Amino acid sequence: MRRARPLLESLVAVGIGLIAGGALMLPFRYHPLKAYQALFQGAFGTPHDVMETLAFATPLMLTAVTFAVGVRAGLFNIGAEGQMYIGAIGAVFAASLLPLPPGLHILVATLVAMICGALWSLVPALLKIWRGVHEVISTIMFNWIAFHLATYLAIYYLAEPGRAERTRPALPTARYPILAEGSTLTAVIFVAILFCLAVYFLLWGTRMGYEMRLVGENPEAARYAGVQIGQALLWSFLIGGMAAGLAGASQIIGRPPAWSLYATLGNVATLGFDGIGVALVGRNHPLGGILAAILFGALQHGGRFMEYHAGVVSELVRAVNGLIVITLAIPELWTLVRRRLTL
Amino acid sequence: MARGCRLLTALALLGWLLGACAPAAPTPTPVAPTPAPKPVKIAIVSDIGGRGDLSFNDMAFKGGDDAKRDFGVEVVEVISKVEADYVPNLTTAARDPDVQLIVGVGFLLSDALAEVARKFPDKNFVGIDTYAQSIVQQKYPNEYPLPNLMDVVYEEHKGSALVGALATFLAAEYKKPHIGGVFGIEIPVLWKFEIGYKWGARWATEWLAKNKPDKAFPYTKDFVLWTYTGTFSDITKGYEAAKAMYARDAVAVYNIAGPLGLGINQAVEEIARAQGLKSGPPFWIGVDANQDWINPGFIIASMMKRVDKGVYYTTKLVLDGKFRDLVKRNKGVLVLGIGTKVDGELMEGISVSTLADLDEFIKMGETAEKLTGKKVLPAPPDEIRRRVKAMRDAQPAWIWEAVAELERMIRNGEVQVPMVTTEEEIKKWREELG
Repeated sequence: MRRARPLLESLVAVGIGLIAGGALMLPFRYHPLKAYQALFQGAFGTPHDVMETLAFATPLMLTAVTFAVGVRAGLFNIGAEGQMYIGAIGAVFAASLLPLPPGLHILVATLVAMICGALWSLVPALLKIWRGVHEVISTIMFNWIAFHLATYLAIYYLAEPGRAERTRPALPTARYPILAEGSTLTAVIFVAILFCLAVYFLLWGTRMGYEMRLVGENPEAARYAGVQIGQALLWSFLIGGMAAGLAGASQIIGRPPAWSLYATLGNVATLGFDGIGVALVGRNHPLGGILAAILFGALQHGGRFMEYHAGVVSELVRAVNGLIVITLAIPELWTLVRRRLTL
Repeated sequence: MARGCRLLTALALLGWLLGACAPAAPTPTPVAPTPAPKPVKIAIVSDIGGRGDLSFNDMAFKGGDDAKRDFGVEVVEVISKVEADYVPNLTTAARDPDVQLIVGVGFLLSDALAEVARKFPDKNFVGIDTYAQSIVQQKYPNEYPLPNLMDVVYEEHKGSALVGALATFLAAEYKKPHIGGVFGIEIPVLWKFEIGYKWGARWATEWLAKNKPDKAFPYTKDFVLWTYTGTFSDITKGYEAAKAMYARDAVAVYNIAGPLGLGINQAVEEIARAQGLKSGPPFWIGVDANQDWINPGFIIASMMKRVDKGVYYTTKLVLDGKFRDLVKRNKGVLVLGIGTKVDGELMEGISVSTLADLDEFIKMGETAEKLTGKKVLPAPPDEIRRRVKAMRDAQPAWIWEAVAELERMIRNGEVQVPMVTTEEEIKKWREELG
């Protein structure tokens, strides 16, 4: 019963969110039920659409882990965005420039991206541990540094000759196989889900995870119990960085048709920030994050059908989606705020 | 107990919600008993600029509106929010059984168009300013050219030659030593603009020697100032590049970098404010859309790529049943330019802006204001019209006539504007023109 409670709360929140979104549509003379029907059928109506929904969900479940694993250790790590850019650049480098045999190439490109993401989180981590610099400040700054660095590298060093709008595409040996002809879902989703599961087992099945959560719940008690707080924080940052790096890679070597990074970073931008919302909806739980990511993917992919078949203008589709998300995030936000207040 | 209560309430709420949704979900759309002939539907998929960009996307939707008005087709707009939307948006439109033509706007959709067009062989696809067929040729050489896919491209070199000549005539009239061009990232597409512009400048000096010896001057390699800024988005770079050119007394600067035009405009405004000018010189020259309204009196003209015509003509080709035949003949590329014809029918897409086009674009600005809620037009429409007209009237008539003469010669094939697309050619032409 206790375990099911967050899930139930979230389901209720979904209901309230949908009603709120519907209420927003009414004054503009759209038919909410017709719009939602288009949304649901669009997102899950055919196997093809389910796969598209999952393709949109893949990077989000990972950037949600970045935020969730931070919150579990008492951090407010919003650096997924920048770590993801650097991961994407690492993936472009390894996937497009290193000639490696099939199989090994995918592995190397994936690992390079994860390491890049982790390294990018290292400086905010060390600043936090050594100097007590607040991670919100440092990760925001690092997001901007990452944005400009990635853009610079994409335009001046990794651009595809003759096509300035994007980087060199990943070599075929570095691409995750597409799961069905004509779909944009690739096998990278299995890697993403495995990563989420691994983080779940780490947090609830190992001593290290226990210590991280203890630091998050009650740092004083953790210190008293002899937990190395710095080490727990460091791991929280690094795991988050790896997740974000993998999210970046998933859009380069796991998403047709471009298989490359746009010079505007347009095909990865905001996935890191969206992950914060996904994590909140998923109750800062790696597995809850997977479900929440699928919901986000459904809103994103199904949204176009609301526009196409129910005629809802695209700006309102975004507003309705945003409203649903905000409603969904309220339970977890409330938990976070309450914890702050009672401490 | 309290928890139990809350749970019950939650369940009740959920049940109510599901109950409310359930009957709606499976209802099939009722089939009309007497199927009246449905109008042909075309879908326009924007790039991430979306509506209100006053350029490619707005022009494409205008083309759709024109097709609706003239051919009675139904038009659906699909806005892409992120790059990952291109494939699913094109797919959604293609899966609509009533849609016969899907238009993707802007070269960013090239990859997506190639993929989706392969999957829906019975639907027709058009890309505006795209190179989807060349992607097909690289990736799936056996299928090239796809029978249902057409890239619409434009003769930018010819339009650039016209504005190059226009700028040079202004230099002659105001006795200025230079004209300028601010470019984006150096990609082969921009070479067409660059060499076209310089070629037009040289043609103008030759014309002057023959027809206006008192204003003539020889063409030198440093007459056209040009900079590749390496960006299509950093407006400051456009400002800096243009400022340096105006500092060397360039009479007009050609914008070949999209939004960087706003940077060029900033440089012009600075000079205008310092010297209390109400109208140029200095001028700048717009690109793609009619940009003359942005700062009326200081944009002498724009080199227009009529995206709307691309949508309009390809819709017509589909309705006339000529689309696939033309794809076969042209290897899937439709060139719209000056004097271009398809089966004897004039299909043009390049022109230098006139006072008459201005109204259409002011209207576009008004729509954008409504859509985005932001102030777009710098002044009331009448005032813009008046100021642009005053600027054009203030230039001697021979300038406009001479530009029209060049257009006529290009149209009749009396002169050939070089179209540069390779590294070798660009080296050769820079050697010759600077």
